Amino acid sequence: MSIGSPDSTVGIEDHPASAEPERAKGVAHGKSPTRIAMDRLRKDKVAIVCATIVVLFILVAVFAPLLVKLEGADIGTFNPDLVDAYGFPVNGPTPAHWFGVEPKTGRDNFARWVYGARPSLIIAFIATVSGTVIGVVMGLLAGFLGGWVDRIISWVIDFVLSLPYLLFAIAMVPIVEQLRGGSFNLTPAEQAQIRFFVLIFVLSFFGWAGLARIIRGEVLSLREREFVLAAKAIGVPTRQVLFKELLPNLVAPIVISASLALPAYVTAEAGLSFLGVGLIEPVPSWGQTIATATNWFKADPIYLWLPVLGITILVLALALLGDAVRDAFDPKTRR
Amino acid sequence: MLYFVARRLVSALSVVLVTLIATFALFFIAPTDPAAAICGDRNCTQERYNEIKKNLNLDQPKVQQFAEYTAGIFAGRTFETSGVIQDCNAPCLGYSFKNDRPVTQMIKDRLPVTVSLVAGYAVLVLTIGVFVGSMAAKRRGTLGDRALMSSTLILSSVPYYIVALMISLYFTILYPILPRGGYTPLTDNAGKWFAGLLTPWLVLGIYNCTAYARYSRGSMVETLSEDYIRTARAKGLSDRKVTYKHALRSGMIPVITIFGLDVAGSLAGAIFTERIFDLPGLGNLVLQSLETYDLPVIMGTVLVASVVLVAMNFIVDVAYSLIDPRVRLS
Repeated sequence: MSIGSPDSTVGIEDHPASAEPERAKGVAHGKSPTRIAMDRLRKDKVAIVCATIVVLFILVAVFAPLLVKLEGADIGTFNPDLVDAYGFPVNGPTPAHWFGVEPKTGRDNFARWVYGARPSLIIAFIATVSGTVIGVVMGLLAGFLGGWVDRIISWVIDFVLSLPYLLFAIAMVPIVEQLRGGSFNLTPAEQAQIRFFVLIFVLSFFGWAGLARIIRGEVLSLREREFVLAAKAIGVPTRQVLFKELLPNLVAPIVISASLALPAYVTAEAGLSFLGVGLIEPVPSWGQTIATATNWFKADPIYLWLPVLGITILVLALALLGDAVRDAFDPKTRR
Repeated sequence: MLYFVARRLVSALSVVLVTLIATFALFFIAPTDPAAAICGDRNCTQERYNEIKKNLNLDQPKVQQFAEYTAGIFAGRTFETSGVIQDCNAPCLGYSFKNDRPVTQMIKDRLPVTVSLVAGYAVLVLTIGVFVGSMAAKRRGTLGDRALMSSTLILSSVPYYIVALMISLYFTILYPILPRGGYTPLTDNAGKWFAGLLTPWLVLGIYNCTAYARYSRGSMVETLSEDYIRTARAKGLSDRKVTYKHALRSGMIPVITIFGLDVAGSLAGAIFTERIFDLPGLGNLVLQSLETYDLPVIMGTVLVASVVLVAMNFIVDVAYSLIDPRVRLS
């Protein structure tokens, strides 16, 4: 077994220089920064309330079919008998339709709202995860390898950050639809599916660069530290240095960036759908409902307020939670 | 200094060049049939399709098409539609076969709207934001400061378009406390111009000034604790003079940087405001073009917006390096 091959580092892996010392039970020990942050978060009342709200929204999204079954309606059924000749709903909330029905189509408001939570959360989570992974990998590579790799990645970061993302999102939609045969030849369901992926792609494409820049800066200072030099000196392979030595030290910026990205993506998804660039029928989405509901807001305020409150409360809870996370992970606010 | 400017210029130009290539690739290489994409699905006749194909030389190699497109931007080109030759003067950003007009003309028509919107917004956001921020910094730690800072956090966490939409629906339409949004050219009727833009300005300005208040507060707190401020106080200068003449000057440097980028971003991204308040600006142009699949217009607007952003980035960087020499070293 030669020095430098992965096998020679088996023992080192278990005792990385950067990790906390091994603990004996019952003996006082130091806490890792992540532990400290989590402890502080648990004491933060605002954070707990916001986290509860977010969990509630996730539960609503996960159990959407069950909730709708409980009410006895479903998302797709048209009820022309419940709207009058001008399209206005005949009656308000009833036991059969808890929040009334949509104008014109007579579909159930509650069911559309409950299912509307799904795309918001799914798109935001996938975009956050993929944006974070790309950002971390790019930042690590640029910061650690340096040289021309760094120059290229930094240039790409600058490039992505200087593009107007809203306009690019709008421009992507017709192009991707055309690639799939033109909007005229697609069924609404196919078109909706394409929009779903375009949204995820656009959000992650424009989301990774900011994080990559932060990670690169952190790595630039970390790579000169003793534990990295030590790891390199005993022949730990680069990949392992990156992911086993450096990555644990980057938890704080990654968590902070992800916690700020989530509310931003929920906002962006609903906003793009509101503009008609994001999700479209038959997929229920809050942004799209808001756009339709503005035409009916005097006669049917509940139709507008449901998605408005949904987005506002979800984004507010996510943003305040993100702020609490940032405070908890920021060493400058350490008490 | 000169070296720094030159390096930034090369980098900015490289970004512009790649944006040009990227938009071209997006609209002319990615679609399997660009002529069909430009012509659109509905109301596209075979004649129109052939005409577009001939006009843009779509059967020629892509490199030649790109060269012609780029040449058009600098020197202009001509298009032939329905037998009539149309001039597209430089900077020619393409031709809208849907509207039978050069894209540059369409953008030029919409530009005053967006510029009016952004100019009023810029004045409002800077004055309110900086004023609130420096007031909070002076009274740091008091109840007022904390209340202000937490309320700005909450307001800025609510999505912008929700705030704008609700104000538009409830305060300009249902209960008309504020004038309804709309656009009248300044040269036609200055009063109507002002009234139509007042609500969008206020909404955009008050929503975004929260961020400015936070930046200027942070920056002012730092500046107010510097030695030279203490010196100024020790000399017996009045409190007002110390805050607004000595501290504000250096405290505003980081805020101005963000301001420059924000204004450039607003020119490209006032889409929500324009849609909600019914202002026929650039953002609305793009949305309308999306509805009719008028791709050359979208392409032209994306390109213009990107160039504005890159140019503003460059100006801010150079201006910043003039003010703060430490930047040049990095």
